[in-house]
Amino acid sequence: MSAATPTASTPDASTPAPPSTEASQGTLAADRLVLEYLRARGHKAAEQTLTETISSFEDKGKSPITISGEELVKRLTVFAEKPAQPGENTLKTTLGVQKELASAVNSSNLQNLIASIGPVGAEEILSLDPNDKQEGFRELESWVEGSLDIYRPEFRPIIFPIFCHFYLDLVQFGFKDAAQEFFETFSPSLEPLHSTTIHRLSTLRLPSHIQSDETAQRFRNEKYTIQMSRSGFALLLGWLTEGVGGEAPGLGDGFFGEKGRRGRAAVMRVVNNHLRFDVATTTASKSFTSWEDNTGLLSSLIPQSNGTSTPFTNPQAFNDAVGELKLGPAPISDELRAETGKSLREQSMVDRDLAGQYDNHLVRPTAIAGIISPTIADLLPHPPSFKAVDVRREVEKVRDARKRIRLDPSAHSSADGNTPQGAAARQRSLPSICAYTLYDTHEGSPCCTFSQDTSLMAAGFEESYIRLWNLKGEPLNGLQSEFQLNNIRDTSSLNSLREKGGSPTRKLIGHSGPVYSLAFDPVSGSAAPPKYLLSGSADGTARLWSMDTMTNVVAYRGHQNPVWDVDWSPMSIYFTTASRDRTARLWSTDRTSTLRIYAGHSSDVDCVRFHPNSLYIATGSSDWTARLWDVQRGTSVRVFIGHQGIVSTLAFSPDGRYLATAGEDLAINLWDLGSGRRVKKMTGHTASVYSLAFSAESSMLVSGGADWAVRCWDVKGAGGPPEVSRTNGTVSGSGSHHSKDPGPDVIETTDLLATFPTKRTPIVTVHFTPRNLCLVAGPYLSTTPR
Amino acid sequence: MSTKQKTTKASGSSTGLYKADSVKDVAESLGITNLPEAVASALASDVEYRVHQVIEEASRFMRHARRNTLTTSDIDRALRVLNIEPLYGHSAYTTAVFRRALPYPQLASAGPVYFVEDEEIDFERVLREEKLVLPPSVRWTAHWLAVEGVQPLIPENPPAVPRDDPSLTAPGTSASDKRASQQAALVKQVLSRELQLYYARLTTSILPSGSGTVDPTKRTAALASLRHDAGLQPLLPYLVRWVGEGTVNVLHNGTQDDASGRTLEVLLDVIAALLENTTLFIEPYLHQILPPVLSVLLHSSLPPMHSTHLRTSAASALARILTQYSATYPSLAPRIMKTLLLALLAPDRGPGTRLGALRGLIGVGKEAVRKGILDAGGAKALGAEPGVAGAVFEALAVLHPPSEHPVPLDLEDLDDAQIAERLREILGDFFADRLVSDANWARGVLEES
Repeated sequence: MSAATPTASTPDASTPAPPSTEASQGTLAADRLVLEYLRARGHKAAEQTLTETISSFEDKGKSPITISGEELVKRLTVFAEKPAQPGENTLKTTLGVQKELASAVNSSNLQNLIASIGPVGAEEILSLDPNDKQEGFRELESWVEGSLDIYRPEFRPIIFPIFCHFYLDLVQFGFKDAAQEFFETFSPSLEPLHSTTIHRLSTLRLPSHIQSDETAQRFRNEKYTIQMSRSGFALLLGWLTEGVGGEAPGLGDGFFGEKGRRGRAAVMRVVNNHLRFDVATTTASKSFTSWEDNTGLLSSLIPQSNGTSTPFTNPQAFNDAVGELKLGPAPISDELRAETGKSLREQSMVDRDLAGQYDNHLVRPTAIAGIISPTIADLLPHPPSFKAVDVRREVEKVRDARKRIRLDPSAHSSADGNTPQGAAARQRSLPSICAYTLYDTHEGSPCCTFSQDTSLMAAGFEESYIRLWNLKGEPLNGLQSEFQLNNIRDTSSLNSLREKGGSPTRKLIGHSGPVYSLAFDPVSGSAAPPKYLLSGSADGTARLWSMDTMTNVVAYRGHQNPVWDVDWSPMSIYFTTASRDRTARLWSTDRTSTLRIYAGHSSDVDCVRFHPNSLYIATGSSDWTARLWDVQRGTSVRVFIGHQGIVSTLAFSPDGRYLATAGEDLAINLWDLGSGRRVKKMTGHTASVYSLAFSAESSMLVSGGADWAVRCWDVKGAGGPPEVSRTNGTVSGSGSHHSKDPGPDVIETTDLLATFPTKRTPIVTVHFTPRNLCLVAGPYLSTTPR
Repeated sequence: MSTKQKTTKASGSSTGLYKADSVKDVAESLGITNLPEAVASALASDVEYRVHQVIEEASRFMRHARRNTLTTSDIDRALRVLNIEPLYGHSAYTTAVFRRALPYPQLASAGPVYFVEDEEIDFERVLREEKLVLPPSVRWTAHWLAVEGVQPLIPENPPAVPRDDPSLTAPGTSASDKRASQQAALVKQVLSRELQLYYARLTTSILPSGSGTVDPTKRTAALASLRHDAGLQPLLPYLVRWVGEGTVNVLHNGTQDDASGRTLEVLLDVIAALLENTTLFIEPYLHQILPPVLSVLLHSSLPPMHSTHLRTSAASALARILTQYSATYPSLAPRIMKTLLLALLAPDRGPGTRLGALRGLIGVGKEAVRKGILDAGGAKALGAEPGVAGAVFEALAVLHPPSEHPVPLDLEDLDDAQIAERLREILGDFFADRLVSDANWARGVLEES
């Protein structure tokens, strides 16, 4: 017998696979052993607690939801025997039961049958008629479609969870064919919005699958949240109880009559047991994406903080409860600032550049009104003194800020492309993009990255190696492997130990699995080439490579599963990794052990990025959410729900206020970190988005992806779907706006400024230099098959 | 036998991808002959579920490798993280080739059988003969994907606006009928039905195909429509192309009859109408409009009845293009002037071409005329060829208007004699003699030189 194991419903469960039936039997046996042991040793209290726990588990096992198919058949047989020939055991197969039940339900002694069932519950038996589910679902659909226009958008989200529960019910009670039929009849209408979940459900065919499948268990154990207005909710209740409202096109007796009542009862059961309605008092004007934020199986996705007793039911409540974040720019110490200012003044004297005299204010990070800036004490622990390289970095930062190309997308929309002034404004508003195309990559290139000073490019490959290029064509020389330590006295003697006559490219070998992520250390900024490179790989390690010796210096082991992403902290001592083991971790380069583990996502953590002031990290996960974590405390401080697919990449705006996330639902969402609310949803990509980057002023977002194109987005623009489709008679704007034919279902939102297609290059990386030149990289896919 | 019947029935009703029959086949191969139907179908469902599980896991690896196709290595990695021993021996580089076996005559009901051919490898031969070729290592190139928001038209970037401008896609096709059919196909794809209909009507009413008669009112109406209607932008590439091809066809045939002359006239009218239409954005097609205009202007043997009119109207079209667009394309005027000068001065050109070039220069403007006639000695080269003279005087009139009451140069006067001498030097005897009779004109012309 399959004693059901209630899977852990705590959101922080980090076990990758839920225990199977066999495992639970094992634990039961183990429990017994432990009990005996405790009894023998005389630990009374412990024994009692354990017994209680076990018995509570067993109670749950008896609940009708987790009844096994076979058991059910047995139970049913007992009752179905009465009208049929007693004693004959023809009711073994589910088909038989189904037929028998169908006939029994129509017969006149139905009432007797129900009466005789007694304690088991008539409802349960009735719920087993698969036709009820079909009928109920059909009625629900027609009721929703027949409802008034103003309520229809509210009612539509109900259909999907009820579909899922009906399907799971049918599978669970063993009606394999009925489940299949139900699925085939009703899934097509839900397919466009929920294809991933629906496909997942379609793979479930046996009751045991439901026990082991995560998605199914989440549907079973969590409440599906739906937003509804008060009046809408009242209408729904009215229909469920009385069958009033709406119209039932072509259904004969409408919502009345026996069949309709039983169908509604089935819907009602799901509504009561598995749905939770957020009833709002006012009907706020809903945007076209608002349902994504607050609908779904939310409870496990929202982190629960320890202090509060009542669990948060919607992400907004959680985000509001955490309170304000310190999103301002990171402070720099007074000494460093003074030194940087001095150095800048000297420089401008040498260059006879009067403008340089007035650059001093740029050294001080400018605070934005309404945002709290962190103090030095808030930052992660770091060395108290600064080095020469820090000064050079800060000086270079100021120079970059002065020489930066200003990108002002807001001018773009107002500019008219046909007048000369308008054309000039358009030019100012859009970036120059330099594309680095990799050739002869056989398996493609999972990742690619540029150093801050654009002197180095590194690409990771599936063949487990990393290739490094010097983009200036200078040789990449490591140190000779054999030398005497006491021979090194100064830099010149160290330089004499360098290898001679290297090539401008180099292969770094060390990983034993595909390299999925690379990052150059940011300490030297754009002033000098970086000293270190980090890589994350499928072999579960992150590795630190020295750019001096061109060798692997440290391997950070800790993740048991592939490391999907790595990112340096802006201060470059710390870094963070994201892994398939559902955690993100914080490391410091000088220790091989993990400093912090950020656990809470219910699926892979696919991407991770540090906030520009290094106080927070953001993670994107396969559970369709993104989270913001407090680096030091290790707690989740924001949760961003709204993607309808895996979050594949994310980026912080340099001003620290926004987070952009891109998902497998082909949308890019922009989130306001302060409030935790979605600012807007940008659509237009026709395949997965691989990389996002903000311009230095945070005014423009550039994205690249598998659709072989780079797209530019206006961050400040209102966005939203276009009002009317483009008129037929005019060429749209300038020559820059030629997209590939987007699929019929991809709407380009109005904040899409430009699309730049490549020939056959999926864009793996987009990167803005500190002076706002955009670099993109990707492997060219040759047209000839292997 | 009853089990057999059950099997067929069950397999018909259960609609999973993995059939219960397959499970039974596997069971039989393991020596289990009496596998109950229920078990088989349950196992089939379970197998399907597990396969989905593995594929879902593998797709994560595919996604993180930034690929769109699942490879065998993804499956291997998925199995490894699911703690299942991977399937060895499959690699993405050597794909298994499935071959179909010969039909099995004993059992007709057996479906087609596929198998992987396992080739025998002779190690000695491999070691002796085959040389492994190292694949080229990864390299990179950089190019500008966009410069200040404009995608440069370089080979590294995909061709621009592939669907709006079909003429760009097939520039080199020679057979005109093939081109026409291609054009028709493209028209079908891109244009709305109404526009297609409009295009067909328009072209037939302007130039009836075959031996249809032209209704002049219809033609006038069509040209008026071209001149004033908004919303023709989508048709513009097709119209431009149609004009270009029509011109080339007529000129290529080289017939000197009346009909072809009239056709050319009409085509020039179409160009003029397009240029006049203020709602059209014609700049992207300038490079296609210029060739027919210049061809008509400079062609050596136009139908004699129409040649003067043709060249004049082509020159005026050219003038119009230059006045409208030379501000946006500063290099346009010099380039055209160069072409015209070449046509005017090259020794092997016929009188028709020279005349056309001269008319073109007049259209380009005073400066061009000065360059052509005076500086480069165009007038001398033309000499006294019949028909040309009138044009030369027109050109000279552009330089300086002739006086209404001409007073001839006084050849006795020293200054005037000098002027006459220079005129002869620059313009040649023929024109100098004529200019001598108008003193003001002669002086004005000389001042320009």
